[in-house]
Amino acid sequence: MKAPNGILAMLSVVLSVPLTGCVTSTIQEVREADTGMEAHESIVVLGRRTLPSTQETEFGFVDCVTRNMRGGSRGIKVIDEDEFRDAMFPWFEPRTAPANTSDLPEIINQPNLAKRLEELGLRYLVWVEGDTDRTEAGGSLTCSVTTAGAGCFGFLTWENDSSYEASVWDIRSGASVGKISSDAVGTSYMPAVIVPLPFIARVRSSACNSMADQLKTFLTTES
Amino acid sequence: MREERLSNQSARRRSLQLLALGVVLLLGGCGGASVSVPPALPIPLVDRLPLAMGIYLSQELLDYAHQETIEGSGDWTIEFGSAQTLMFDNLLGGMFDAVRPVAAPDAPGGDVDGVLAPSIEEVQFSTPDQTRSDYFEVWVRYRFQLYGRDGGLVGEWPLTAYGKANARNYGMNSREPALQAAALAAMRDAMAFFTVQFRTVPAVQGWLSAELRGSDTLTIRGSS
Repeated sequence: MKAPNGILAMLSVVLSVPLTGCVTSTIQEVREADTGMEAHESIVVLGRRTLPSTQETEFGFVDCVTRNMRGGSRGIKVIDEDEFRDAMFPWFEPRTAPANTSDLPEIINQPNLAKRLEELGLRYLVWVEGDTDRTEAGGSLTCSVTTAGAGCFGFLTWENDSSYEASVWDIRSGASVGKISSDAVGTSYMPAVIVPLPFIARVRSSACNSMADQLKTFLTTES
Repeated sequence: MREERLSNQSARRRSLQLLALGVVLLLGGCGGASVSVPPALPIPLVDRLPLAMGIYLSQELLDYAHQETIEGSGDWTIEFGSAQTLMFDNLLGGMFDAVRPVAAPDAPGGDVDGVLAPSIEEVQFSTPDQTRSDYFEVWVRYRFQLYGRDGGLVGEWPLTAYGKANARNYGMNSREPALQAAALAAMRDAMAFFTVQFRTVPAVQGWLSAELRGSDTLTIRGSS
């Protein structure tokens, strides 16, 4: 009867420890023009789905930036990516999406599309590129299950590297107003003596939080 | 005490049986997938052509399913047929003033200016295991036939659509949702490609200029 209580006690200690690895993040901003938003205006954050690139930005990152920009005291209106692509279909599909700001006037000068953009209150398009990769991994961990019980032994470590860049286009002027890059590197560890104890470096989440905060400041602060 | 020990042994045995069952289910779930394109296709935002377009969807198209067995990877099925009605209703509904289903492309009746008869010629797909990437990819080759108001064939052209989906976006058991997302992306690509290509197909241009004689709506994006 004591063993289960012991395991429960160990698990409760494990769960109460903040299990995070270290993350180093860097944010850089290049401003090309003045920005600012009125209360009724909104933005959209879009992942580049360029054909045939396989370096596609994860949905989770775009969702995270969208969610974080909506929240907080300086929250701004951010249109959902799928909702925007459907509303503007087919002009933001991988085959048809504007690759550069020079392609933008062709879209925003079309009466139908301009009217839809106005209905959406869209002021800025934020294109996000980049992804998170595992750059290094090492160690070994073995788990076994016997009639006497189950347990793991070993040590794992891995490093994740996030690198994202957001390009901000002003729909009103049809020009690029700046770029923000967010990079984060972190190493996660998982020692295991019977119970694996993961120390996860939340690399992508860190890159997302930094980018969302910087974008909010960038878009709402008039320079 | 003895009863308690027996009860513990029994619970442990049950846990092991459940674990073994879980492993079997996990391994059993490692091969193949069966998906259908979800009914979530948008309406294109373009200026509508002032024409009534007939649409003929053959039973073969409405039943179209791609089935393939990949050695070591199981049986795969992508069912496209059930999405075709919505796809062409939305696609043509966004492009033309009126869309009417017809019973036969070469006998459209008097209330349409032309009839579109699409068919799927070929489907291919690849899995992340095959391409050593994170992506499911789907290619669909359509063939479109355009018939005039008199039932005569105006022209035909192929269209190859492509869709991909990153399996990493769909968590641990990503086969079905990622393959479905890739198939949906291919359908959206077919709609996007059709929308921008339609007015540039030589046979269509001839038909349009005859039908729209006196009208000024022949630009691709149709600014009014």
